[in-house]
This record gives sequence, structure tokens and C-alpha cells, in this order.
Amino acid sequence: MIEALQFGFMQRALVACTVIAVAAPLVGCFIVQRRQSLIGDGMGHMAFAGVGLAFIVGMDPLIGALVLTALAALALVRLTRLGVGGDLSLALIFYGGIAGGFLFASRSGGGQNQILAFLFGSPLNLTWGQVAAVTALAVAVVVIVVLLYPQLVAMAFDESAARAAGVPTQGLVLALTVLVALVVVGGMSSIGLLLISAMMVVPVATASQIATSYRGTMWIAAGIGGLSAVVGLLTSFYADAPTGAAIVLVALATYCLTGLVRFVVGLWPATKRTRQPA
Amino acid sequence: MSGSSPTLDLVALEFDQVSFGYGGVPVVSEVSLSVAAGTFVALVGANGSGKTTLMKLGLGLLRPTSGAVRLFGVDADRFQDRWQVGYVPQRASAATTLPVSVVEVVRTGLAGQLRPWRRFGRAQQDRLEHVLDLMGLQAVRDRRLSELSGGQQQRALIARALVTQPRLLVLDEPTTGVDADARAVLRDSLDHLVRVEGIAVVYVSHDPESFSGLADRVVEVRGGQLVDIGPTRLLDVPDAPALELPVAEDAR
Repeated sequence: MIEALQFGFMQRALVACTVIAVAAPLVGCFIVQRRQSLIGDGMGHMAFAGVGLAFIVGMDPLIGALVLTALAALALVRLTRLGVGGDLSLALIFYGGIAGGFLFASRSGGGQNQILAFLFGSPLNLTWGQVAAVTALAVAVVVIVVLLYPQLVAMAFDESAARAAGVPTQGLVLALTVLVALVVVGGMSSIGLLLISAMMVVPVATASQIATSYRGTMWIAAGIGGLSAVVGLLTSFYADAPTGAAIVLVALATYCLTGLVRFVVGLWPATKRTRQPA
Repeated sequence: MSGSSPTLDLVALEFDQVSFGYGGVPVVSEVSLSVAAGTFVALVGANGSGKTTLMKLGLGLLRPTSGAVRLFGVDADRFQDRWQVGYVPQRASAATTLPVSVVEVVRTGLAGQLRPWRRFGRAQQDRLEHVLDLMGLQAVRDRRLSELSGGQQQRALIARALVTQPRLLVLDEPTTGVDADARAVLRDSLDHLVRVEGIAVVYVSHDPESFSGLADRVVEVRGGQLVDIGPTRLLDVPDAPALELPVAEDAR
């Protein structure tokens, strides 16, 4: 395993995948609690359109994706406020993104293959500059989540009660949607636009099986996210498999394994589990 | 009995000719009602009568189409001191997707007082501990909320509403799915808050038994209008004649 990390491209991939896989579940905790687990998918498709547009106008794909996902975040919040149900407004964003993305990709000529690489990620091709940009996005996400943590928890747990208590929920909904967009953009080059949203949800689902608190769920999920990135990347190296897919599959395997362990432990009589050794 | 409160003259919540509708369909029509400090007002009514809408208007969660809602004399829209209002939603809102501990739930009540980017201070921590003591939740503070009984969950939601030391407490169907012992604890707590602490309580319920003997006034919401039933004792007899009172202009 150490041998794999002697390569520069593996070191860059390790940093890029791990930082975003740690940051993603921190945001995921809030979207899962708000029953918006698929919001990352909607944003991912809009980022696809942003990357396509960036190639056409000759802009950095990261900037194109950031601009379009930020606009999508605003549109999503606006549509919801206009009474378009959360699910439906997300679907509109989702389909707009995939159609726009495919259209822009088809018009981008030689950039088409590069655009498609963003769908499933290509972490082994990153430069240190790109890794730094991803790291900056991940750090921004962590800092915002930590600073807004009390308000975000109040809103995620009970939005009406939070509003009644004076929490600025409308601004927080927008902030949360922008956080989702930042994670998606941060993860698109390493884990991929179609897979990064899984890292917002799957580690959270795993952590929720064993944690007893919200804070505990967040930190365990972040740990599982980071671990999945390391194990997934190394597995993909030795098995010659796509990295993004390997990372998400490791995260899913962790979920299944955790469920299995809980099931087996549950079968074990409580008296035996708590009995002290003689 | 409410006359013993030194702050009786303070109106905590006031509806002044308030109307509200969804998509042009009127739900609340020209309602006027005052809730003074140190009084317990019960809002009763069938499903769809408009009592929940009225409660949301009172909390400033909805904006009236006409008339005014005032919290402590200030338009609900412009009311800033949200810590003065404690809201206990229906317990169904405590159904969480993710694990959340009791102390975390109660702490969320303080989030409205916290400026962005700031942490909780010593005074807020002390209030948190105090309210956990008050509601008998210290022993279960680190347990998952979903593992608790209905009564304990309800107490956690009440503790969340009380953690800011509010002067108005609004409770929505607080006894739904709560056992008899927990109901008794809830009654004692509310009685103490109203009579000793001088808090104004608005209690939304379809179960008159749960506030019998506690409420200073019982107001029925019927077809979006108010019918003042009077003191609780009238409700001790099922289908009391007072229920047939005409719609009051001001159900004071």
C-alpha cells in the first residue's frame, strides 16, 4: 500500500479524494435529516452543465460548475418558496442540468471526453493546483458547517420551531444548498459528479446506525467518508478499477457491514453481552 | 387566580381583527383575542377548524391577510425578541431521520439567540442545565430522543421551548400519545409556569380533559372564528351548554 503512495499522481488523488470525502458527510447530515438526500444529484447534474458551458466559453471547468450550481441553489430555494414542492423543484433542476450538460458537451468538440470524465471523476490526472482548489473548497465547507452548526441543527431538526425561535431559516436553507453545491464542485474531478452525492448520504446512513447523537453522527460519518476514500483509492489502484466507483462501493460495503454487525450483535442475548468475565 | 400575577396587565399575544386564507379560501376570519401574562388560554376545535393556522399566525410563522398580530405589543412581523416566545410543536415533529440526543434537542432552542459564528456562553449553558433539571431529563440527557417514551419526548420539546425563559408558551396538542403519568407532570409544570412564573400559555388541543382546571379561558375555533367558552369548569360536563355561545366579536 505504501508502494502505491510513492507515486505523485496517487498522492494527489489521495488528498483530493480524502478531503472532499470527509467534508461531504458533514453537509450530508443536514440534507438527510431534511429528507433531501437526492439534492446532491440535482446539483451534480447542474454542475455537469456548468462544466460543458465552461469548455464552450474557454473557462476553468471548476468556475463554470461553481457558477451554475450557485445559480441552481438560488433557483431551487426560489422555486420552493413559490410553492413548487421540494421534490418537484429538485426534479426541474435535475433535468435542466442533464439536458443542458449533454447539449453543451455535444457542442464542445474536442472537450467532450474531458467533460464526460467529470461525470465519474478522474483523480489520477489531477495537478497539485487542482488538488489545492479542491482542498480549499473542502476546508470552506468544513469551516462554514462548524460556524453555523447550532443554527443548522435547529433548522434541520424542526424548521418551524427554529423559525419561531428566531433562527433565520430562509438564509440557512440557501446556505445549506450552497454548501451542497460546493461539495459537488469539490468532488467532481476526483469522485465524479454522479457519485459525489453518494458520499454525502451513504456515510451518514452508516453512522446513524451506531451513533447516539447528531454530533456523533457527523464525526463518525466524516471518518467513514475519509476511510472509504483511502480504501477505495488503494483498491482501485491494485484492482485497476475506476476510483470514484470504488470509493462509493467501499462506503456502501461499510454500510452493509455495519448493519450486519448490528444484526449479529442483536441476536446475541443481552445478558451474555453485558456479562463480566469471571 | 390569574390576578395574582404582577404582570397581568402585559398582553403577550394579541390578535386584532385577523383574517387569513390559503389561495383566497378564508381559514381565519376577523379574529380578535388577547392573551395576557400569567393566563392560560386553551384553543379547542375540530380538525380543519383553523386552530393550527391561528397558532401559526400567533407565532409569526404566517402573515395575516388583514388585521394585526402583536407579540408583546410589537407586530409579529417585526418582533425581534424571539426568545420571549416558546413553541412546543406536535410530538410528531420529533420523529427524526438521524440520531439526536435529548440535550442536543433542548440546545436547539437556544440557536435563535446565538449570532452566526458564535458559540454558546456560560449563561446559556446554565439555562440548559436548569431546564433539564426542571423537566426531569438529566438522567436521559445523552440518550437518543427516539428511544424515549412519548411523555419524555414531549418533556424534551417543552424543555427546548423553555430554555430561553420565554414569557409566552405556545403548545400544540401536547398530550397526544402521552401516558397518564406524563400528563400529570405536564399539568403540574404548566400550572407552575403560569401561576408562579407568570408565563402566558396558549394551549391548542382537542382534548378538554388535558387542560381541565388549568385554563383561565377556553376558546373554541369554529369555521375560522372564535367562540368563547369561558372558564374550564364549564367543560367538566361533556357538551356543556356554553359551547353553544354565539360567535364573540372579541373573545376576551
